[in-house]
Amino acid sequence: MSTFSLYVPTACLIALGAGRRLVRMSEAEETTDRAAQHTLDARLFQRMADGDRAAFGELYDRFSRPLYATALRILNDAKEAEDIVQDTFIALWEKARDFTVTRGTAFGWAVTLTRNRAIDRVRMRRRRTELLDQAAPEDLGYGGGSGPDSADQASLSEQSTAVRSAVAALPTEQQQALELAFFSGLTQQEIAARLNEPLGTIKARIRRGLLKLRANLSSRP
Amino acid sequence: MSTLDESHEELASLYAFGLLEGQELKQFEVTLASSPELRDLVNELTATSATLAHTAPVAAPLASLKARLLSRIATGPRGKIVPFRLSFWLPLAAAAAFALSTVWLAQLNFITRTENSLLVEQQAIAAATLQSSRNQLEAERLIANQERRGAETRIADLTLHMQEQSDLAQFKIATLASLLDNSPQALAVAIWNPSTQEGVLAVEKLPALAADRDYQLWVIDPQYPIPVDGGVFEVNPATGEARYQFKADRPVKAIAAFAVSLERKGGVPKAEGPMVLISQ
Repeated sequence: MSTFSLYVPTACLIALGAGRRLVRMSEAEETTDRAAQHTLDARLFQRMADGDRAAFGELYDRFSRPLYATALRILNDAKEAEDIVQDTFIALWEKARDFTVTRGTAFGWAVTLTRNRAIDRVRMRRRRTELLDQAAPEDLGYGGGSGPDSADQASLSEQSTAVRSAVAALPTEQQQALELAFFSGLTQQEIAARLNEPLGTIKARIRRGLLKLRANLSSRP
Repeated sequence: MSTLDESHEELASLYAFGLLEGQELKQFEVTLASSPELRDLVNELTATSATLAHTAPVAAPLASLKARLLSRIATGPRGKIVPFRLSFWLPLAAAAAFALSTVWLAQLNFITRTENSLLVEQQAIAAATLQSSRNQLEAERLIANQERRGAETRIADLTLHMQEQSDLAQFKIATLASLLDNSPQALAVAIWNPSTQEGVLAVEKLPALAADRDYQLWVIDPQYPIPVDGGVFEVNPATGEARYQFKADRPVKAIAAFAVSLERKGGVPKAEGPMVLISQ
């Protein structure tokens, strides 16, 4: 069973009563249930809040790759991406007790922390345009309908593959809008200017693309 | 039934990506705070947007990062939460308060001493300034006195000079003309200083005399019935000139005229011989 959708709909998580069902960490590897995975992340945060460093190590194993890949995609600089990931995990450790399962997923929170830090740094460097020029949409692996190359394919987790497939199912213009909205650090107006489209069109593409992605991920097992 | 429309979905989508700004962001967060349904939608869309992290090209941080992080949290300030025990912390807090008070008082003492030192220094500077001003005033007073004395001296000199000028004005100067038929060119000038009762007679072209004869000068003062004797003098036989400084044998108040007569050798108390020169 695919596990990619573990991080998707918080509303479903809440509906399934994830916040009330706790599982033991030793059972995590075997857990395939989406809600149980969220519950597992929440339990890790609870243990971290109590000062459990082993829980921190397990969370690092689960989150470090996608967080680092996100930071690297935004910053295009391995050293800076690693700095961002390090800062993010320190923040997760120090603020673990602030995490509330009813306000979103643990993974979503971690991604938000990483992304905000990376975008802040990009804006600070004022190299936004250069970075975008250096990275074409095809770099993401879903631009123009093409999938990831064979080298990446082998190392992609099921989660990554599922998400990429869900994104690839979107219209190209929605993929572009979501990609710029997530990775570029551009404002709405800058995205519209970059794609040479009216601002209203861009807002609509982001809305439709995100809602459809949510639906695609929810429909997967 | 959902109360959310497309505009809510659009704003929620933009919010999930952090794309709302300014007033639009504030208004949306106000709405969000009052709508659990909208909050749920935002949570779902935020979680959905987070899945895009999986679309980034596959990459992994250095293996050493995990070790560094574990080391960092092991030595960091955050650890297991322990209950607050008042009995344990109270003495420490009291000691800390005492230490802080001591430091504060020491600092206050230091500041006060520093300010006092500054005031003493300022007082010394003011005293030195006052003394300097006094010295300057004294120097100016001495200079003024010196200048005053100099001025007084100059005034005295000027007064004396003016007095001398005044005295000069009082001098009696007279030209004596010849009464001799054989020496009509003979000439003499007599100057008389009434303050010193002295005079000078200068003559030219008077004929030389025989050895038993002398020229005798007479000062005619109306207060006396006969001319006052001014003494005898000789002339240079070669030039007929003579310069004779004389005094009257009696006090003279006013001079009506000078006269020169030819007398026997050594002079006479009363004119006997002929007059040879007389002033007008």
